[in-house]
Amino acid sequence: MSPGDGAGRPGRVPLLSMREVSVRFGAVEALVGVDLTVHAHEVVALVGDNGAGKSTLAKVISGVLVPDAGLIEIDGEQVAVGSPSSALEMGVATVFQDLAVCENLDVTANIFLGRELRTGTGMLDEARMEHVTREALQRLRARVPSARTPLNQLSGGQRQAVAIARTLIGEPRIVVLDEPTAALSVVQTAEVLTHIERLRDLGLGVILISHNMNDVRAVSDRIEVLRHGRNNGSFDAATASYEDILAAITGATTAGPRLRSAI
Amino acid sequence: MADRPAAGSQSALRGANRGLILDALKQHGGLTQVELTGATGLSAATVSTIVKELVGAELVEVRSTVRTGRRAQLVTLARRVGLAVGVHIGLRHMRVVLGDVAHDVVAEQLLPLPAQHRVDTTLDRAALLITDLLDRMGASLDEVLGIGVGLPAPVDVATGMVSVKGIMRGWDEVPVAHVLSKRLARPVFVDNDANLGGLAESTLGASRQYQDSIYVRASYGTGAGLVIGGRLHRGFAGTAGEIGHVQVDPSGRICLCGSRGCLDTVVGSQALLEPLRASHGALALRDVIAAANEGDPGCRQVIADAGATIGAVVAGLCVAVNPQCVVVGGELAETGEVLTGPLREAIRRRVLLNQIAPLEVFPAALGERAEVTGALQLVLQSTDLVTRDELEPMTWRGLG
Repeated sequence: MSPGDGAGRPGRVPLLSMREVSVRFGAVEALVGVDLTVHAHEVVALVGDNGAGKSTLAKVISGVLVPDAGLIEIDGEQVAVGSPSSALEMGVATVFQDLAVCENLDVTANIFLGRELRTGTGMLDEARMEHVTREALQRLRARVPSARTPLNQLSGGQRQAVAIARTLIGEPRIVVLDEPTAALSVVQTAEVLTHIERLRDLGLGVILISHNMNDVRAVSDRIEVLRHGRNNGSFDAATASYEDILAAITGATTAGPRLRSAI
Repeated sequence: MADRPAAGSQSALRGANRGLILDALKQHGGLTQVELTGATGLSAATVSTIVKELVGAELVEVRSTVRTGRRAQLVTLARRVGLAVGVHIGLRHMRVVLGDVAHDVVAEQLLPLPAQHRVDTTLDRAALLITDLLDRMGASLDEVLGIGVGLPAPVDVATGMVSVKGIMRGWDEVPVAHVLSKRLARPVFVDNDANLGGLAESTLGASRQYQDSIYVRASYGTGAGLVIGGRLHRGFAGTAGEIGHVQVDPSGRICLCGSRGCLDTVVGSQALLEPLRASHGALALRDVIAAANEGDPGCRQVIADAGATIGAVVAGLCVAVNPQCVVVGGELAETGEVLTGPLREAIRRRVLLNQIAPLEVFPAALGERAEVTGALQLVLQSTDLVTRDELEPMTWRGLG
């Protein structure tokens, strides 16, 4: 896949397209008529205040939550994402904030957790799993010393790399990253940000959820602002100013009539 | 190559394993012996033997450390005399490397930066990256001889400040060298990135056998580093070689510097991306470079045209300086002859070709590391006087 195969090229079908997605928890309107489009070879950042609906939207994309209303299209075809495993089958892989890795297992075991490869006789195919793990880490150019190091010996950045590498095993087309740089040192943040660039270079669509405006603006192509569960602006990351994005997050500016009519 | 041991022999195997271990150390900074077995796939006994050999050859150092509560042996590449830090702050990336006095890079980290990054955040992150990288090496700030910083703007070397207003918004008010040296308590030397690229290429890279050379950095913006008589020529206020601000289109757009139709308004990243927007959609500069390398005709056209335009400006510089060679670096140079071909053509067409030595135009040998290598070089040159006596014998030992 050559660069430019997606990312807003006129006439291209987006990898993921969500229209008018709504989620309610009783009286809480978590998402109200939210639209989101992601192309191949594009990093889309979801930003917003606490409770703006970023993580809820991520959960809808990854199949954890089923929306009350709305349309989800993958490759232009309407789909029903009923569970995380069906999302995976459709090529959507998610790295949640808590990473969900096992501290006591090594890198390879973590990467194949729950989907271990077996040989013809039903034994675990350790050699092949280790090989695939090395390949995934290499594709990411991750600095994890060994495919056999237990996770509790790795730094926060390296764990994040393992969690991202795990998503690559199922040959996904969309990777959702929820707060991947929270609580990381600067060197580790740098590593994770270069991994995100790498995913983009591999031709994947990436959805990046983050609070850190610096990190978001460094690696994303487009920034989508959510406020009170609604879309509140879409920005070209290369040209939008920090102030414009902050204004949209805090509600100093509103996008479109939808937000105003809701208040 | 003649005395290379036969493939498959015991010594060839040992040489290859040695290479594996050195490469792993270079990539990770420092690893324990246990981690080295994991990283290389070699047995613990082999790692132990080779590490001993490498310690004997003074290529690596071993010290005690603690990993997950247990004592372990941390192996790092040997640092001769001291460390230098090289920082290249670009428009969209920052690269930090630690190098020793033999110019070997012993640790490296790249950090993507946002467009129009802020001076306070970026310098804060630079300082933290430096200390984090030192930590990873098991080294401390005391071992650092100095920190060299390259900026994509003209710099007054005496004060370490950007010397032209407007080119890097917010940066022209801040004494970068002072801010970092106060924070890290080490000497800091700041220079223009194209100058550093020129310094590196003329001492260690493609133009090292020439006395007079020009380094052209074609990136998000364009700049040049002039080396005349073997010395970097910065000019009075550090603006020598700022070819990005030579006028090429008298009716063109207004540049960040305030004048009209500068080279950067024609071949800067925004200008390169815009004509592709209708046909290719919104691309980043990296995408254009990758697509050109994969043969995309539109992207190749844009970069080739940029090469010709840059070449015409460099030709003027060549008439003024009469260098023996022009070295082309920066991100656009990653497209190889797509950029360099038309650039060479434009220079050759306009420069007086003397019959003594025709002007050579070739790609940078140090690639994406040219600028940080120049930053290391700047530190070592600037601290030479203090440590020359202890430095020289050590350096020779390192080479021998």
